[in-house]
Amino acid sequence: MGRATNSSSSSIDSSSHPTVSSASSFPRLKRDLSTDLSLGLSISTSDHHYCPSTPREQQSDWPPIKTLLRKALAGEGNKCNDATFFVKVYMEGIPIGRKLDLFAHDGYHALIRTLDHMFSTTILWAEVDGVLHSEKCHVLTYEDKEGDWMMVGDVPWELFLTTVKRLKITRVDKY
Amino acid sequence: MAYSFPEEVLEHVFSFIHTDKDRNAISLVCKSWYEVERWSRRRIFIGNCYAVSPGIVIRRFPELRSVALKGKPHFADFNLVPDGWGGNVYPWIAAMAMAYPMLEELRLKRMVVTDESLELISRSFKNFKVLVLSSCEGFSTDGLAAIAANCSGRFSEESRISSFDLLSFATFFLSNQTKRYNRFELKPACEVDIGSPISLIPDFAHHWCPSTFPAWPPRCPSLRTLRLNRAVPLDRLPNLLRRAPQLVELGTGAYSAEHRPEVFSSLAGAFSNCKELKSLSGFWDVVPDYLPAVYPACSGITSLNLSYATIQSPDLIKLVTQCQNLQRLWVLDYIEDSGLDALAASCKDLQELRVFPSEPYDMEGNVALTEQGLVSVSEGCPKLHSVLYFCRQMTNAALVSIAKNRPNMTRFRLCIIEPRTRDYQTLEPLDVGFGAIVEHCKELHRLSLSGLLTDRVFEYIGTHAKKLEMLSVAFAGDGDLGLHHVLSGCKSLRKLEIRDCPFGDKALLANAAKLETMRSLWMSSCSVSFGACKLLGQKMPRLNVEVMDERGRPDSRPESCSVEKLYIYRSVAGPRSDMPRFVWTMKTPS
Repeated sequence: MGRATNSSSSSIDSSSHPTVSSASSFPRLKRDLSTDLSLGLSISTSDHHYCPSTPREQQSDWPPIKTLLRKALAGEGNKCNDATFFVKVYMEGIPIGRKLDLFAHDGYHALIRTLDHMFSTTILWAEVDGVLHSEKCHVLTYEDKEGDWMMVGDVPWELFLTTVKRLKITRVDKY
Repeated sequence: MAYSFPEEVLEHVFSFIHTDKDRNAISLVCKSWYEVERWSRRRIFIGNCYAVSPGIVIRRFPELRSVALKGKPHFADFNLVPDGWGGNVYPWIAAMAMAYPMLEELRLKRMVVTDESLELISRSFKNFKVLVLSSCEGFSTDGLAAIAANCSGRFSEESRISSFDLLSFATFFLSNQTKRYNRFELKPACEVDIGSPISLIPDFAHHWCPSTFPAWPPRCPSLRTLRLNRAVPLDRLPNLLRRAPQLVELGTGAYSAEHRPEVFSSLAGAFSNCKELKSLSGFWDVVPDYLPAVYPACSGITSLNLSYATIQSPDLIKLVTQCQNLQRLWVLDYIEDSGLDALAASCKDLQELRVFPSEPYDMEGNVALTEQGLVSVSEGCPKLHSVLYFCRQMTNAALVSIAKNRPNMTRFRLCIIEPRTRDYQTLEPLDVGFGAIVEHCKELHRLSLSGLLTDRVFEYIGTHAKKLEMLSVAFAGDGDLGLHHVLSGCKSLRKLEIRDCPFGDKALLANAAKLETMRSLWMSSCSVSFGACKLLGQKMPRLNVEVMDERGRPDSRPESCSVEKLYIYRSVAGPRSDMPRFVWTMKTPS
């Protein structure tokens, strides 16, 4: 059950294999190997490793690079920063809430801008002067890990991210 | 009756003997030496956690303070070992909790470490000082929090958690410190690895940021190593460096920002202040404009890890040639042959080079990196002895040059990305080239082969590689003779790992006794039949012959059918009892 010598000739030919769709370069390798193996082997053992229909893209075991590096290279252009942190946002009086990705914002100002837009109102928070207008103004609060409702903006942004569970926009007069 | 020294004298003499090999040798001299030695042994290294049981270790060495354990086979790093295979450290922790209350150090590699295990560690060892988890998995921040809460204040210089699953251990560690001491003073942790470069739990990774602790890092004069998460932006770095100018090892976070002169000069100033800096890594998302900021620190740098730095050759050359005292370089193949030429010309102290593929799945090369780069470095760097090189082409002539240039080579791992690639000039197999390596490099103890290889290369290896301890083989050989050469010829062989080679039953059965002299043998996608495995298991009671097959029970197929994966290791503990459903051990009939 040794490898037939024609397996070596196929490795020369494999470089002239028809190129597959540009979807990903990965299946190309798998296709070449399965050709090599099916020429030399009479047993089924290894075929399923290299079956092109196996869609386990990152489950590659060749070339031998560690998972960490493989993910880093694959994630090229797909930065770690695309992690998300969605929280629910309710506006008082509106039963249906929205969801907002806090990680997509780099600070309170960006958050307020998004909320202003999302809810078409002026949002008041800790940094705004104490002058409260009665028309179309809302206050932004959040529920923290301890279950308390706090005004947004008092703590550093990053600390806020560790404690916020959800947001609520309440009417000024109620507040 | 022969006169012998009193035990106290023996003990005193033995206290100067530290290496495992030497201590093992002393223990074989006579019974009284065995006894004195076993009571005085304080540290132990167990290369395969299944080779022995906790009970056996504890019975023999009642006073251990430091334990190192390795679990999964090396090929687990490349996804060849399915999940659930084993290597859970919990039974060891449970046993040691009873037997070694004074345990100080635990070093684990490729093991499954659950939160439960970490919690047990944190509760059981009052003097615990060093925890090193490399390439381990299975734990979360909960487990790390337990360690931080119960062990903090006692962690020594060496504690390190560097693992694929590493989360922001340091965050918890720090926050627990501040809670406990109510001051922003970090003591005594010296190595703070703030999250793995790729965080699997991104929400947690993003939570840590220096502004959470305004005075962080506090005065922590003992902080030697700091590795930041990729999420920590570049503009935070100057501040961090200014607070810890005594840093020896630094891993940057993201090394990119819009080019702003004030950030640049702040960064450059901070780096020039770090007079002790010896090792740099990180450089995620690196923007070349900011690289010159590290130049002030380069003359002291001995280790540079640019494996994640996707920058092109000219920028790499500029950086690397600043580091005249470089001893270790890990870099992507963007460095190209021209970069390696420059390296060879500037870094005469270079000892270790690793070049990783930037596009591992691309069959056509994307960079101008060939065998020539490696030849240049082997010519120009007289101290080079450890190489890991990924490339797409090779010649026998190049390998012969490298071998002749560097007879001091001790670790040589070559990976030609396309399996079974020939010498592109002569179209021959690469047998002669690797043959030259083993013939000239008499101290070689680790070798990885690639390219088109026949049984001849194994004949060379068996004949010459007398100090070889670890051999990795893939897509090579013609038949059993190849395996036979290695098993019968390599006197020092301890670990052999083989995948996708046409090695079958004959060589394995003929060299069964050799397997007891080795730590382990791994064979996957080869031609070893189930029948041969059974036979081996029956004949060799001190070997665990484990068959791994995800297709189902091996005895549901004919005996002549090849097994998917085979892992054979010597053991005094007998077959293990924690095998998953896809692993079968070939038992010796009782």
